[in-house]
Amino acid sequence: MHGFAYDAIHDEIVVSSPLTQAILIFRGGAGGEEAPVRVIQGPHTQILGTAEGGNDKVSVDAVNNEILLPVGTGVSRQNRTPITDNGVLVFARDVNGDVAPKRILSGPDTLIRSVAAVAADPVHDRLVVNSGNALLIFNRAASGNAKPLAVIQGPKSGVANISSFQVYPEKGWIIGGGSDGSICAWSINDNGDVPPRWKIPVQKLTGYVASGIALDPVHKEIILSAAGQRVRPPSGIMNSVITFSWPEIF
Amino acid sequence: MRGHENKLFLLFVVSAIALGIAGSSMLPADRALTADASRLISIESLPDLGEMCLWEPISAKPVVPSADNNLFAAFEDKPVYAASQETVATADVARPPIRNILDTDPIYSAVTVDTRLNEVYLQDPNTWSIRIFNRLDNTPANAARTEPKRVIGGPKTDVQFNSCVYVDPKNGDIYSVENDIGDSIVVFKNDANGDAEPIRKLNVTHRAYAMAVDEENDEFYLSVQYPPQVAVYRKLASGNEPPKRLIQGESTRLSDSHGIAIDAKNKLLFVNNWGNISDYRIPGSGRFEAPSITVYRLDASGDAPPVRVIQGAKTQLNWPGAMAVDPDRQELYVANDVGQALVVFRETDKGDVQPVRVIKGPNTGLSYPTGIFVDTKNKELWATNLGNSSATVYPLTAAGNVVPVRTIRSAPKGKVSLRFGKTQAVAYDSKREEILVPN
Repeated sequence: MHGFAYDAIHDEIVVSSPLTQAILIFRGGAGGEEAPVRVIQGPHTQILGTAEGGNDKVSVDAVNNEILLPVGTGVSRQNRTPITDNGVLVFARDVNGDVAPKRILSGPDTLIRSVAAVAADPVHDRLVVNSGNALLIFNRAASGNAKPLAVIQGPKSGVANISSFQVYPEKGWIIGGGSDGSICAWSINDNGDVPPRWKIPVQKLTGYVASGIALDPVHKEIILSAAGQRVRPPSGIMNSVITFSWPEIF
Repeated sequence: MRGHENKLFLLFVVSAIALGIAGSSMLPADRALTADASRLISIESLPDLGEMCLWEPISAKPVVPSADNNLFAAFEDKPVYAASQETVATADVARPPIRNILDTDPIYSAVTVDTRLNEVYLQDPNTWSIRIFNRLDNTPANAARTEPKRVIGGPKTDVQFNSCVYVDPKNGDIYSVENDIGDSIVVFKNDANGDAEPIRKLNVTHRAYAMAVDEENDEFYLSVQYPPQVAVYRKLASGNEPPKRLIQGESTRLSDSHGIAIDAKNKLLFVNNWGNISDYRIPGSGRFEAPSITVYRLDASGDAPPVRVIQGAKTQLNWPGAMAVDPDRQELYVANDVGQALVVFRETDKGDVQPVRVIKGPNTGLSYPTGIFVDTKNKELWATNLGNSSATVYPLTAAGNVVPVRTIRSAPKGKVSLRFGKTQAVAYDSKREEILVPN
């Protein structure tokens, strides 16, 4: 699993199941081998897990009651033949079973080129996709072959492609990975080759390169996970969950 | 090690209240950010490292640890920098982390025994290393741990997400299966130590989990989680050499395959399956099935149906890990990870059958066992425990809530491991103030 979500409004955990082409929704307090409360799975869902990737991350827009699922060709190293178009499937949050997506964002104009992490900003009514080394910013309800409204990309931007990123709608931040192993904050209003407004040089400080990001606005902290797959940390311990205080962005 | 990319049901929940299991530190109040703090503006042209899940190229240059970049050294005082959103410039936040959750002890995913030299090999996916002990090591109750004789690990080894280990009974070569993005089998000389380069490396299909070797025919069988398959290679294969044959297809009933074992004497192949299945070429074809063990003729190929299937509630199978066979007793041993047990079947079992023996209970020392090895020479059964940094040994015919005859511990007694296998994702439960970490 490369990305999942906690829905604070409805107290649910939303995860994707790549090998079974499913989205599983659990109670927020679920433990042990507790069954999911809902399962989105079946031919109408159009969910596709690919041979070597895909359907490996999921996001939730709790305000607008939607689940956002990136799909696509994954990160195949041995067979790069596209199986399906890359894109984002959007489901109603409360559906269960073999249900079709509400809308699909996919096509060459979207510039979505991979199984991209996705997040929604309900305050600014935007959908953000981290595809390749770019942040693609769409209208939140964009569908079909829509063009992004803005693209943050380029050497000054330092945008990297990692497993997950977060938006903080209250302050209009996009918080994602920088290509030097840092975690950066860009503005939701940025466009072009814009440098991040804030940067924590995580790799330089800790030796770890983060792949997972979570926000704790109450304590003004950012929580990062790292699994050693990019750079072996000097500690020799591959798995780590690291918390930084970052009051400036909250 | 459990295979990756499908670990959905066990979220390791860490209470924020209990944060700081290792390497923790808190900023004193007098170091808090002030509005007029000094600034360091950094605008840099940054290299493109690509997507996080991609394989790490050899050319990638890790940060060299120093007092300035080492996590533990970084807890010292650092200046704090700030900038406003309007500056359209980057403000570096160079303060150290306030907490770090990590497990400083090994977690053991797999085991094998070199009965010629009386050495035990344990796979540790937490530090990406292979740790070698004497077979008769037995950690005293009052000792913190038993130190290994030697450790194979480091960037040159290519050991990563290591999920299976095998020692050639003829020449002592050490085989290590690299799961997840490792996508390879690396082979070391028997006396390898430290950051040793493998003598051979075979690139294999993504999501390879475990191997079993037919020494008579110089072939090995490799289980691949997804798309589920068994790949049969020449034993000395290297580089990009393709498998000699594949067992793959809907008729095989393979599904998220993990443990694998062969009985060369009786010409049988055993594969266990977690039951997560889909055709990756067909949207919406996914489904969940009950865990199973599928049995094939040793020469099976292509979309071959199993000759028998062990499956059902009576089997107790629950995320089965490694398997091993005793051809003389014609018994199949399974490390039943989430079932917290070692379960034993007859090779001839089929359908919804109860195991003939189960080792389970508080006296056994088992905690999320994923590795297993049958030592027919010394009539012993070995297990590795992800949950408590140990390997435990039992008589081959043990059953029930039995005390191990020996235990190799790599952490103090009673240690509860974090079981961090691949902490790629994270989420925060603001309602319970808990950090959610899938593995």
